[in-house]
Amino acid sequence: MNTVLQAKGLCKTYVVNKRQNNVLKNIDLTVSEGDMVAVMGPSGSGKSTLLYCVSGMDRVTAGEVIFNGKETASLNDKELARVRLDEMGFIFQQMYMMKNLSVLDNIIFPAVKSKNNKETRAQTEERGRALMKRLGIEDVGSNDINEVSGGQLQRACICRSMINSPKIIFADEPTGALNRSSSDEVMNELLKLNNDGTTVMCVTHDPKVAAKCSRVLYLVDGSIVGEKVLGHFDSEEKSLRDRERELNGWLMEQGW
Amino acid sequence: MPYDCELEDELKALDGVDYVGTEHHYCIESSKNFTYKGSKMDNFIDIAYTISDEEMYLKFYDEENNTVDGVEKGCFYSNAAFIQDIDVSKGDIFELSFDDNKLSLKYMGVIKCPTIAHEATASPYLLFDAEDIKFIGEHKKNDIFDDKDVFVNAADTEKIDKLVEKYENAYVMPRDEIKEYFLFDMVAAYIMMMISAVLMVTVFVVLRFTIMFTISEEYREIGVMKAVGVDNGSIRSLYIAKYLVISIVGALIGYAASLPLGSMMLDSVSQNMVLECGSNALIGLLSSAAVVALIMLFCYTCTRRVNKLSPIDAVRNGETGERFKRKSLLRLGSSRLPSNVFMSINDFVSAPKQFGIITVIFTLCLLMMTLMSNLALTLKSENMAWLFGAAECDAHIYDTTYFVDAFVDYDNYKDILAKTDIMLEDIGIEGESGMTMGFRYEVDHGDKTANEFCYVSKGLKNDLVTADEGTMPQKRDEVAMTGYALDDLDAEIGDRVSITIGDKTDEYIITGKYSSFLNGGHGIFMHPDVDLVENNNFQSMGVNIKFDGDPDDETKDEYIEKIKKAIDSEKVCTTSELVKTATQMSDTLNSVKQMMMMITVIVTLMIVILMERSFISKEKGEIALMKAVGIPNSSIIAQHTLRFVISAVLALIISTAVLMPASNAVMNFVSSMIGDVTGIKCNYDPLEVFFICPMILVGVTVIGSWLTALYTKTIKASDTASIE
Ligand SMILES: Nc1ncnc2c1ncn2[C@@H]1O[C@H](COP(=O)(O)OP(=O)(O)OP(=O)(O)O)[C@@H](O)[C@H]1O
Ligand SMILES: [Mg+2]
Repeated sequence: MNTVLQAKGLCKTYVVNKRQNNVLKNIDLTVSEGDMVAVMGPSGSGKSTLLYCVSGMDRVTAGEVIFNGKETASLNDKELARVRLDEMGFIFQQMYMMKNLSVLDNIIFPAVKSKNNKETRAQTEERGRALMKRLGIEDVGSNDINEVSGGQLQRACICRSMINSPKIIFADEPTGALNRSSSDEVMNELLKLNNDGTTVMCVTHDPKVAAKCSRVLYLVDGSIVGEKVLGHFDSEEKSLRDRERELNGWLMEQGW
Repeated sequence: MPYDCELEDELKALDGVDYVGTEHHYCIESSKNFTYKGSKMDNFIDIAYTISDEEMYLKFYDEENNTVDGVEKGCFYSNAAFIQDIDVSKGDIFELSFDDNKLSLKYMGVIKCPTIAHEATASPYLLFDAEDIKFIGEHKKNDIFDDKDVFVNAADTEKIDKLVEKYENAYVMPRDEIKEYFLFDMVAAYIMMMISAVLMVTVFVVLRFTIMFTISEEYREIGVMKAVGVDNGSIRSLYIAKYLVISIVGALIGYAASLPLGSMMLDSVSQNMVLECGSNALIGLLSSAAVVALIMLFCYTCTRRVNKLSPIDAVRNGETGERFKRKSLLRLGSSRLPSNVFMSINDFVSAPKQFGIITVIFTLCLLMMTLMSNLALTLKSENMAWLFGAAECDAHIYDTTYFVDAFVDYDNYKDILAKTDIMLEDIGIEGESGMTMGFRYEVDHGDKTANEFCYVSKGLKNDLVTADEGTMPQKRDEVAMTGYALDDLDAEIGDRVSITIGDKTDEYIITGKYSSFLNGGHGIFMHPDVDLVENNNFQSMGVNIKFDGDPDDETKDEYIEKIKKAIDSEKVCTTSELVKTATQMSDTLNSVKQMMMMITVIVTLMIVILMERSFISKEKGEIALMKAVGIPNSSIIAQHTLRFVISAVLALIISTAVLMPASNAVMNFVSSMIGDVTGIKCNYDPLEVFFICPMILVGVTVIGSWLTALYTKTIKASDTASIE
């Protein structure tokens, strides 16, 4: 399978009050097309930092990140922004959206901004509506972002991350702010996306969420200390409960 | 001397009069009596008057506003009118000559006093040592303009009025009216006040928004504080303490800056006036303290918002708390605008209050610039000529020596016009000449009596004096009056008045009302066929010349040069120059305009930078989000810059729409304070008011907001995580 994302010897150091804080230490990582990778680990272990570094939202201190065959360190800010806009999608724990735009406008905003997008506004809007329909939130398109529920908003964020048909979607605790049922709905959407071929890299604290992923990485103190391959959720005959049990056992070993 | 001491004696004899002082004035006919730096002076229109330092009954002040008690022999002071348009410094030597009798005089600087800071046509007044005055009295030729001011301290002005009525050439002016002498200067001072008011408003608006922004930024903190049980008062005092420190620092800086700036501003308006300013350190400090107090009060009201926040609000909605206020008004999907333009318009309509106020401030700044430009232009425009009794024509000879004979004997005006026509013929210019003259006569209506200036135009028809109401006199027994003259006589259009010209009293019917600056707006305009009789109160703007065949400006200037040579006088000018000299305001307003441009640049920059800076911190989350999803910096900066440009452009449209009505209103308001004037239409320089000034605003906005928006670069995509 093709490699979408590769990190070699990735290091990230923050300097706070003249003290170095080595948040990521020599991380090697390969994500193949179609993977659904979960990143787990204790709080402060560097999960979010890893996500930002491999997605080009932040610069690495050492090592290299190769996305889709390109060395991201060699790209300038503008080119990196373009890569993020056209080839990556983002979902955050907080459901960030622009409050001056309606939900639908927020979703189509990246498409309007993309230079690759040759559609008319109406076509883009149509596509946005179709995505909303697919995620079951077609009714709230013209609402303000503070007129919808958290779960709806997070699904709208997924729509936004998908609008430019990215190669990979990065999600940082996408279900962190949601209750169990909303969380399941959102995860199911991500799974559907993954089954359609989109690579997903997702930071989570929730073993139930991680159990649906094909690989789980365990990060402690800036290093990947273990990896568990669970295989694709749909393709395996194992039930979700079995996967969860298996993962929990493994997590115990890691010191979860 | 035109009159002897009878008047003073009678005044002294009146009941309730406890003080009579006489200030004698010799006239020095022409600026040409003075030589400065080797050439004869030609800068002032009117006759110059002398004052002796032994007859100073009013207080005179020098440039530093110290009282002047006397003048040394061989030295002199002058009012601003004497040195207008020339560059003089203290200690310079002037030579005063009457034929071969010369007097060398050292210039000591400007003196200020209400009576010598005359209104529209300010006459030069010079303060000499008594001995020098004697010399002048002995050697000057003409004494018809010599006059005197008699200062009387009296309980009852009515008795004085009665007494003075007997004297044909004397009239009474109560102390209050002397104030009006300052009006042209007062106008400049008013304008300064207007500008200051705009600045104050701006400062408070900026302050208010800064406070609002800080409060909404620290929304969470406030919520948490409330949640753990800190009371409103304590939270507010926390903020107020913060602003107290800031405003004290600000006030100190402001106080330090105000010292040079304040005197600079006042210098430009108080050539004739004694205005106290920041020279008193205590007053400066007190007003700074007052500003701090005012700001604190203002902060207190602004922080009221803290009370309204409930802890739940703050925790549930991290950003603004305006949870149920609709934000998204425009639809990106159905808009055809480029995305950056759409986003900035959307931002504008989503925060109409903020951007509305920015627009208002921009509008005010722009209007101030363009208004000044219009007023300055109008105050030197030919359109104003009629208000000074001058015909709008091609050239004016305003050298008093040239038409002085008409003062001595009214009939001489014919000779003056004849000699002008001959002169024109001699130098090969085809044209006609005319003259508008006025003398003060007694006018009666019912039981009211007033001494009013009555004007006639001879030669050229002065069509430009038009009636605001009714018509100008069409027949010999018709007159038009200014509103003030009508008030003086308690008369209205249609009434009959009797005017005593010489020893003949005739009845005239009032057919119209007109506007004038002359004589503070008191005047009567008569039919050209009326013949006047000379007396000691004469007024004329000189000889008007109209060239045949509408020559272009260049030819006119050429002709004017020829006339100057032919009559050996520099005092020949175009109508607009005449108006400019007469008002003396145009230049002041021009410098006010330039100052306004500077202020606009500063205010605009301040507003743009402060507002954009607080917008950035308020929108940090959105900016980070945009970066995270891959919107390039340039796009974000463009959006931020454009929002302000929209405000500037809106301001431009609004101010363009209201500029002309506003200019006319201001101009007429100002004019009505100086004379009795309505219906002036302002001139404008389209390039300046519709292009240069707007471009200054838009340019500064673009540069200021763009540079500030560059700050968004420091917000990183990964900041998305660290923002509440
Ligand atoms: N901008 C920054 N500057 C300095 N140090 C930072 C910065 N961002 C993160 N860190 C540090 O890096 C470490 C890892 O942070 P990170 O956010 O990646 O943790 P995490 O694994 O995502 O934790 P959590 O599960 O709580 O979200 C922390 O110790 C944090 O203090
Ligand atoms: Mg994290």
